[in-house]
Amino acid sequence: MKTLNEIPRQNPFKVPENYFEEANRRIIASAADTSNVVAKTGLYRRLRPYLIAAASIALIAVLSYTAARILIPGTSEPAIPELSAEEFSSSYIDYIDVRTLEDGTDPAALSDEIPMLSKPEIIDCLMLENIDLNDIYELL
Amino acid sequence: MSINNPDFDIIQLLKTDVNKGFRLVVEKYSTKLYWHIRRLVILHEDADDALQNTFINAWKNIGEFRNESALYTWLYAIATNESLALINKRKRTASVSLDDIGSYLSNSMEGSTWFDGDEAQVKLQNAILKLPEKQRIVFNLKYFDEMTYEDMSRVLKTSEGALKASYHHAVKKIENYLGEN
Repeated sequence: MKTLNEIPRQNPFKVPENYFEEANRRIIASAADTSNVVAKTGLYRRLRPYLIAAASIALIAVLSYTAARILIPGTSEPAIPELSAEEFSSSYIDYIDVRTLEDGTDPAALSDEIPMLSKPEIIDCLMLENIDLNDIYELL
Repeated sequence: MSINNPDFDIIQLLKTDVNKGFRLVVEKYSTKLYWHIRRLVILHEDADDALQNTFINAWKNIGEFRNESALYTWLYAIATNESLALINKRKRTASVSLDDIGSYLSNSMEGSTWFDGDEAQVKLQNAILKLPEKQRIVFNLKYFDEMTYEDMSRVLKTSEGALKASYHHAVKKIENYLGEN
């Protein structure tokens, strides 16, 4: 079997003569044509006053709700404990059977050179193989 | 952002004179980005389009560039997305399925005036084109651009462990293809 090291690391692609000089000139000219967006203020900066106002209102609402929960008796705990998004995805990932994922992989392709992967990393790796995330969940 | 950042001077210039700073960005990165794009889209004309779009996109968003990420990984991320958008457009206009895009690009490559590889290079490029798109990006960035996994993780928003495993598998697949052909 031929290894990658036996093939010289060359660039087989070509470009027209003076391409890069001409491309740079065109790009800079395009940027000059859209100079009305030069030094545009970032979206975050423009929205910042509104975000601060919204955050203040949200904080007041949370404090009011908390005060009401403390002061007004008779509120009950939810029947199902709520999870944060992070806790939910962690608990879901725990259900994934790593062995089932590995069954589809040729053992010869695996070697000591591959680092030990966590379950989220295995999912990331499968997604690099163009396997859809929903398909991964459905299979398990 | 550290003063040891290789783009520190350019980033400072972008804050004080954005036109001059952007010119430096183009001069420094256009060639690297072109070859990254070209290895994905194969045809020179498509790479030229994607390169233009990359810098137009970068220019429009230069005010929102967050200094905590490296300039060059930010640019590579834009270039990668533009390349994928172009490939998806080719799939639609050429009525090519996801599985056939590699064959389509391979035929385009071998028939192109701007390809000058010997038999070994043709085989290697065909082997690379057999990889799923995202894995092809990982392979190209590691093998041709010699990008670190840390930087690649920023470009592709994927964990370093997954990238290492993906590159390892990509090499195995390519070597299997070369052995069979």
